[in-house]
Amino acid sequence: MTTSYALPAELTIYAVGALRPEWQQWVTKLPKRRGKASGAAIFEVDAAAVLEVDGAGVQLLVALSHSLAARRRTLRLVNVGQTLASACEVLGLSAHLLGTGEPS
Amino acid sequence: MTDSDHDSSFIAEALPAFIEEARGHLQSLEALLLELESDPANRELLDALFRSAHTIKGSAGIFGVLAVVEFTHHVETLLDQLRAGKQALTPDLSTLLLECSDQIRALIDAAQSGQADDPAMCAAREEIVLRLQAAYGYTAPAQPASSDAVPHVAAAAGLWRIDVRFGSELFRNGMDPVAILSYLRGLGTFADAAGDAGAIPDLDAIDPESCYLACRFSLDSTEPRERIESAFSFVRDDCTLTIEAPAMATPPPAQLPAKMGSEPVRCKEPAKSVDDASYIRVQADRLDAVINLLGELVIASAGASLLARQTRQSTLIEANQQIGMLVEEIRDSTLQLRMVPIGDTFARFRRMVRDIAAKLGKDIALEIRGGDTELDKSVVEHIVDPLMHLVRNALDHGIEMPDDRVLAGKPAQGKLTLSACHEAGSILMRIADDGRGIDRQKVLARARERGLVAQDATLTDAQIVRLIFEPGFSTVDQVTDLSGRGVGMDVVRRNIEALRGSIELSSEPGRGSCIEIRLPLTLAIIDGFLVGVGPSKFIFPLESVIEVIEGREVAVQCDDFGRKVAGLRGQLLPVVDLRRLYELESAPVERSSIVVIRTGTLRFGVLVDVLLGQHQTVIKPLARIFGGLRGISGSSILGNGEVALIFDVAALGERASETPGEKRLKPAAVRELP
Repeated sequence: MTTSYALPAELTIYAVGALRPEWQQWVTKLPKRRGKASGAAIFEVDAAAVLEVDGAGVQLLVALSHSLAARRRTLRLVNVGQTLASACEVLGLSAHLLGTGEPS
Repeated sequence: MTDSDHDSSFIAEALPAFIEEARGHLQSLEALLLELESDPANRELLDALFRSAHTIKGSAGIFGVLAVVEFTHHVETLLDQLRAGKQALTPDLSTLLLECSDQIRALIDAAQSGQADDPAMCAAREEIVLRLQAAYGYTAPAQPASSDAVPHVAAAAGLWRIDVRFGSELFRNGMDPVAILSYLRGLGTFADAAGDAGAIPDLDAIDPESCYLACRFSLDSTEPRERIESAFSFVRDDCTLTIEAPAMATPPPAQLPAKMGSEPVRCKEPAKSVDDASYIRVQADRLDAVINLLGELVIASAGASLLARQTRQSTLIEANQQIGMLVEEIRDSTLQLRMVPIGDTFARFRRMVRDIAAKLGKDIALEIRGGDTELDKSVVEHIVDPLMHLVRNALDHGIEMPDDRVLAGKPAQGKLTLSACHEAGSILMRIADDGRGIDRQKVLARARERGLVAQDATLTDAQIVRLIFEPGFSTVDQVTDLSGRGVGMDVVRRNIEALRGSIELSSEPGRGSCIEIRLPLTLAIIDGFLVGVGPSKFIFPLESVIEVIEGREVAVQCDDFGRKVAGLRGQLLPVVDLRRLYELESAPVERSSIVVIRTGTLRFGVLVDVLLGQHQTVIKPLARIFGGLRGISGSSILGNGEVALIFDVAALGERASETPGEKRLKPAAVRELP
């Protein structure tokens, strides 16, 4: 599986405006490439580069996951760093975005 | 904190509010359960259900109604498993939960009356608790269930429950929820965070710079409330924040399954609408007093403008017009205060339909449409019983047993539809079923048996169906313990007509029946159209007037039955001559006018002397002795003190289509009323 999708270093309110159309492209290009897919397929995104995260960034990731879900894809973030994990956790979105409960 | 710390007088004062609120939650609990039956996997409904039970338990805890807390705890545990997806909501569970809601209601009633728990109820409750425990797989028998249910015990943990929904402008104001929540995390043990992923739109719909975030979490902290609140101080005006102090945090940690806390909590409409709507409770009689005064004001203002017109001073007339307009606006908005959506009334029938269908062994789906249609509260109160009767009838007699339905080529599940909509100043309610319809031959045979129609009379289908509403048309051999409660359809019709409404039934054999009830929106004030015949004044509800043919020679002829008809654009229009109908003793005028009235599908004309125009009409009831007066529904006092009679256009229409009879009453006598 090749990971051709990656998150930028800055996942904040300053970046979301530009990120949204880019991610929309990811989603709209999907069906042609995976026409045969049945059931929810995994859509892997590399989060290794992420350095800065805020609520707007996390929120846009949720939006991405919703859009992917509409095309029967499940968002999977890989190489999630501490910053992103912690932001998801405090917003109570770890389960949704990272597929994990809060670390106990 | 113990109960004794509470000021007992405060508790006594606030208890009624708690009871009222708990009843409201019970009602929504029941509604949600019924809704879930058709959609058992609906996560949002399950969440709302859980929250209703949770709120009941929480506030019962504050008021020390421990029996409710203890019992609801078991309900909550089961609901929790349902929403965590550990169990599916089976019809059996649903029945059990409905029984639970009855139990909670009984407990709340007991709390209200201050009664001691009666042993029979206690036993019934214990039995339900056992079933609940069996349902959720009770695992820790050593620990008494009541102790971990009582919130005050859980309080020691210092567990704050915080629920925050950030405002949409938050990001643009330079704030970041992540920073705020991270700060809070530093204050204690942060756990069970559940964000509302469902509130965030998808990529296409999202405004990436608006904030959609919401989160609920618990914080085990010894910090004071101020400290926790201060974390939100920069966004205080831009978020909805609920902080539940440890004493109120009802779910003890042991009871929260780890999975549930981390799952996103969806924002749920039913519960939200309860939270968001803010109401002021007003005593109904105070509101009625205002409306009565308003009625007087309308009359006084009409009197003032009449006097002003007589002075011929244009400035005075103008000032009075201004007042008149304002009065009209106040009238509309005051009447609006009394308007309530019919949906709550309809929703009561869900439970009834479910129970009755189960009892009869029928499978019936209830569909409710137009629940947000509003009408006057007093109309709603009066319509409940007739509606209930009609619904029962439809369930019992209308819809067949599943086997019979299949044989008749219909789906096994019967359908009952309750709908409401506005139509020309009145509200139209429909009760439709897809059952067997009305057997006309049977109805006719019975009517003949009872002597309601002559043996040899031939009746149209519509006339036969209408016989059902006749007094004396008893349905003896159809009596069951459901609908044979001594209330005949004639009582239903009388109740509805007493509200100035009308009822109509249409039925197609084998396909079902539909009952249409038309009711006025309000009982107090209407827009009227004033006319005069000789010295008498009459008022038509304005919405029933479609046109007037003014002061022309209208060729009014008599047809073969002695009924009057007039030609209107090539069509014959039945015409009611008021002078003849009510034997008004005044000389006919040369040029009379015809007011064309519509009621339902019927169109007819009314012959009058003068047209006096639109008039705000405050309806006063007629004295009882005029109860038999057909065609008149009430009276109104005009600005100059004269009395005008208000027409019941539906009844007048019936008179228009019948042959002139013997019996006539003189409405002119009403003018002697005070």
